[in-house]
Amino acid sequence: MKQYKVTVNGQSFDVSVEEMGASAAPRLQVANTSAPAAPSAAPLAPVSASSAAPVVSSSSASAGAISVKAPMPGTVMSFKVTVGQEVKRGDVLLILEAMKMENEIVAPQAGKVAALRVPVSASVNTNDPLVDLE
Amino acid sequence: MDGKLKELEERRAKVLAGGGPKRIAAQHAKGKKTARERIEALLDSGSFVELDAFVEHRCTDLGMEGVEAPGEGVVIGYGTVNGRTVYVFAQDFTVIGGSLGEMHAAKICKAMDMAMKVGCPCIGINDSGGARIQEGVDALSGYGDIFYRNTLASGVVPQISVIMGPCAGGAVYSPALTDFVFMTEGSSNMFITGPQVIKAVTGEDVSAEDLGGARVHTEVSGVAHFRYALEDATIEGIRKLLSFLPQNNIEDAPIVSTGDDPNRLDPELAAIMPDSPNKPYDVRSIISRVVDAKDFFEIQPDYAKNIVTGFARLSGRSIGIIANQPQVMAGVLDINASDKASRFIRFCDSFNIPLVTFADTAGYLPGVGQEHGGVIRHGAKLLYAYSEATVPKLTVILRKAYGGAYIAMCSRHLGADQVLAWPTAEIAVMGPEGAANIIFKKEIDEASDPAATRAEKIADYKKSCFANPYKAAVRGYVDDVIDPRLTRARLASALSMLLGKRQTNPSKKHGNIPV
Repeated sequence: MKQYKVTVNGQSFDVSVEEMGASAAPRLQVANTSAPAAPSAAPLAPVSASSAAPVVSSSSASAGAISVKAPMPGTVMSFKVTVGQEVKRGDVLLILEAMKMENEIVAPQAGKVAALRVPVSASVNTNDPLVDLE
Repeated sequence: MDGKLKELEERRAKVLAGGGPKRIAAQHAKGKKTARERIEALLDSGSFVELDAFVEHRCTDLGMEGVEAPGEGVVIGYGTVNGRTVYVFAQDFTVIGGSLGEMHAAKICKAMDMAMKVGCPCIGINDSGGARIQEGVDALSGYGDIFYRNTLASGVVPQISVIMGPCAGGAVYSPALTDFVFMTEGSSNMFITGPQVIKAVTGEDVSAEDLGGARVHTEVSGVAHFRYALEDATIEGIRKLLSFLPQNNIEDAPIVSTGDDPNRLDPELAAIMPDSPNKPYDVRSIISRVVDAKDFFEIQPDYAKNIVTGFARLSGRSIGIIANQPQVMAGVLDINASDKASRFIRFCDSFNIPLVTFADTAGYLPGVGQEHGGVIRHGAKLLYAYSEATVPKLTVILRKAYGGAYIAMCSRHLGADQVLAWPTAEIAVMGPEGAANIIFKKEIDEASDPAATRAEKIADYKKSCFANPYKAAVRGYVDDVIDPRLTRARLASALSMLLGKRQTNPSKKHGNIPV
């Protein structure tokens, strides 16, 4: 179970992501910590279309699928790919700001982007999954 | 006489036949050459002289009495590579699996002893099923004799190990003690305990390739330095490596003129450095433009990629290059990068190869994993290796040189002979953001608009204070701030100025590097 703190439109959410294995879709548990009065999906809707949605929209992982992990602690600045996009080895997947540097995180192998595992501006730790490739 | 010559011919033919046509065919079917074919490919054509071809084992236990092992499963001798003498041994997998017994080890030891005696590199090609169990403790004694010689030869002659087949158990420690390990993909494996033992003890299922294949050791463990897809390419790699090395610790590396003018100016160099200090770039594009004929031979290119190490030439002289790689993990120093760089530095210092360091790093990598993994102890190796090195030490600070990492990347304080800085250099205790937060904490907290005040203080710090090379130049820690286009010319000039460098460390038995 991975724990993330996600801030959307100024609201903070604690998100737990559980890896279910090869065929199951990841299950998300979202607990709103800063705005208990408005836990509805409404304020999330416009954002989820752009940045939050990819977190949930993971398709089932196939054999040979890999998860690109954070090489060091940092903040996700932007994704350079979208779910479903084909990438070649060495293509830039996202920019991770860490150690005062905008680090390009590249695809270690060719594949199709199956899921973006964290939202933009999430803080990640070493080995946190960032992008799933299949 | 004719009869005696005939006998010699017959005896030699038997040895040269190795394990026989069937086993040789099996070896070839696996994409592997035989021991003799490998030596022929490695050495200059026709230069190989075989020694100890007639050595035989003397084991009579467990059915070994009648077993014939032509050449004792290993071929040794000398020859030349690029016209320079080397000693070589190659295990012959076609002869009882290349297994190592008493006399097999004695042959290897002879090659090593001779290499030490004449002061030439020793290259060992490993392809062996392991210890010859029937020989018991005699086989173990053989391994021990080899390790002992590896250690004594370390820093005296370059030692190169080539893994072109299995290399398991105690056998792995000889390559581990040598300076460089080459592996051929698909056919080579190295591990202390194999997949079967691991399965029995820990229950983990792992293939030999995933446990100790060429990819694992060049990317994950750092045990090996070079990986090639095929044996021919592996051998070319060895020849290329040798071209940069001296024969021993007393000689200098050969001077190879490439016709590349040492004073060549490179107006493109400055353009490689991004305008924003937060943007990555490939430091190898700077290295290759500075060195002779763009010829940079990278060591461990797939391991700890946040630091780049390798050989090149400057006005024809071999140099060892160490450079932070901003393109990978922001070029931070971490446990693996420190290990990789310090071992390379010590090799260069052992063999009189001047060091050229390109610094651009924000510091050591933060994290519980790093601290608990002993980044203090590992990072200290870098300080130790640079400090103890007495070869000419040249440093170019390209951009970031913060805090401990500034000191570690061959600063003046660790004995650098020449420190040059690009105008983009930022030499400081820490980056502007962090520093402003600490120094101006009170002002920022009390300001009506903290964010604006913070930005202002950061800008102040950058401009007037420390995020430039001049504070260090004022103290003389940086010898000169240079136009990037002059980098090659200035390094070549400094190298030639330092040819007469003589420095000795305090007399001691040996130091105690924090291993």
